[in-house]
Amino acid sequence: MIDVSNISKTFSSGSRNVIVLSDISFTLEKGKILTIIGKSGSGKTTLLNCLGGLDIPDRGRINCFGIDINCLSEKKRNLFQRKKLGFIFQSGNLLSYLTVFENIVFPLVLNAYTRQNREKRVIELLEILGLELLAKAMPHELSGGQAQRVAFARAIAHSPEMLLADEPTASLDTQTGLNLIKLMCQVGRENNTTIIVSTHDTEIIKYADTTLHLMDGKIIGN
Amino acid sequence: MNLIFWIKTALLFLVRSRRATAALGLMIFSAVGTLVFISAIAVGINDSMILNSTGLYSGHITGFHLSETMTRETLSVDGVSNVLQRFLIQGSLHYHAKDEMLTLIAVNPDQELKSTHLWKKIIKGRYIVDNKFEILISETTAKQFDIQPGGKVLFKSGASVYSFVVTGIFKTGIDRLDNKIAFCPASIISDLPAKWEGAVFLDPGIDISTIIASYAQKGLTTTDMKTWKELMPGLTQLIELNQISIGFVMVLVLGVVSFGIACAFAIFIINSIREYGVMKAMGVTPKETAMLIFSEVILMNLMASFAGTLAGLLAVVITSKTGIDLSKYTSHNQYFVVSGLIIPRLTAFSLFLPWVLSLAFCLFAAIWPTFIVIRQRTSDILRSI
Repeated sequence: MIDVSNISKTFSSGSRNVIVLSDISFTLEKGKILTIIGKSGSGKTTLLNCLGGLDIPDRGRINCFGIDINCLSEKKRNLFQRKKLGFIFQSGNLLSYLTVFENIVFPLVLNAYTRQNREKRVIELLEILGLELLAKAMPHELSGGQAQRVAFARAIAHSPEMLLADEPTASLDTQTGLNLIKLMCQVGRENNTTIIVSTHDTEIIKYADTTLHLMDGKIIGN
Repeated sequence: MNLIFWIKTALLFLVRSRRATAALGLMIFSAVGTLVFISAIAVGINDSMILNSTGLYSGHITGFHLSETMTRETLSVDGVSNVLQRFLIQGSLHYHAKDEMLTLIAVNPDQELKSTHLWKKIIKGRYIVDNKFEILISETTAKQFDIQPGGKVLFKSGASVYSFVVTGIFKTGIDRLDNKIAFCPASIISDLPAKWEGAVFLDPGIDISTIIASYAQKGLTTTDMKTWKELMPGLTQLIELNQISIGFVMVLVLGVVSFGIACAFAIFIINSIREYGVMKAMGVTPKETAMLIFSEVILMNLMASFAGTLAGLLAVVITSKTGIDLSKYTSHNQYFVVSGLIIPRLTAFSLFLPWVLSLAFCLFAAIWPTFIVIRQRTSDILRSI
């Protein structure tokens, strides 16, 4: 379970402070899908970053699967991100000098999978996501939708407990974006992975168990 | 930490970022190649100075006041190519009404021709021949006597008087050889002195200290035998100065190159910093990030340095076949008195120092780009692009 209690985050911008998150609290059961919707600047990315340990909130606590991630040392936070998290970003997710296969295998090596298990897992994911023919392709040879599917494959390769997706469909056309979300939800449910997706596309919320509506760093609807 | 994985990833990065790798590698390649060649030339210059200075007359080791029990064979140990026996006779040279006090050096002409290059400094006439009453005089003496080859002179030493025909006149440009010295065959001198002087010539690449050590075992002290380093401290200093200069050149060139590499690598990494941000979000630790960047720098350096060393080696092989003739620029220099031909030669110093320095500087150059990636928070990296 993910338990977020009263988190706030302020950024300094020149001489003034900008409140990005204000007193955010929610809980999410394991295996559920949460969408965070809101306009640009509403705090969606910062909330995801806080959940993934990339940002530390100024106040409040975030407990992910029994771990208070704000209290983790840098080393333990790295380990938490490596083992329990998968990230998908809006674009530029892939390591440009690695092939599709090498990109997907990357987190598996970090998590010390054996060579045999790594290859088996990557082949399995390539099949599930329909990327078998692109295993040796370089990222610049992929379409936007293919690149995001590869990013998704890499994010779930090591079977993380939580997948954080920051506007994963923003650079895709509507249909490709919806297809990606459907795929994410299907695979996520099959693997009991908790998925948190930030978006400003209201179509996507149909696939979520819960939706948080953010505006100016505050939850205005749940 | 999976070292092999990070090295492999670094290799893939370099191979697949072909243009950037080639541009950066070219800087190292050209710097290392040039430095290998330049340092081989520096070694060649040192070799030439030693060869010129020792080969003209004195040899690598000079023996003083050696007793008659000490023979040429005694000094001909392993590593010695030749030992020249010389007898120094003090006396006066007479020509018509003129005379000059000088040292007549009685030598074995055939052996002298084998190992010394004094004959190359003969400006008139020819070298002396064994068993003939012939004398080789310096240009200074010839001018004083106003004598030419073919002229007859008398040499008086104590009760002995010898009549010689001047066969040649030499000029070395070195004061101690050009003044008050003449040469004649030892075979025609009936009363040779008991003590003699020896000029020991070594085989190429032989360490002079090992020969001195074996002479010490034969009871010869450092007052009896002196190396060229002791007899020519000026040359020793010049050689050391040459080595220091080339060291400075290497440090400066590679320092500038490494600064360029640091800047280029920093730009390269800033351009792809989002990828490092994505990796950090995946849980890649600062240590692993540093290992990746350092592996990239080290691998690129090793490959470029290897290619550069091969190129430098090739340049040395090509130029060493004919040598580089700098006679035009060395003709008035006493350390190039015989020849100004430089044969570039590779030593462990000239071969590996550019490589080692290049690697050291590149590791230093990798610190900055690594610092750029590590110090930035992942969220800032991902947010900024």
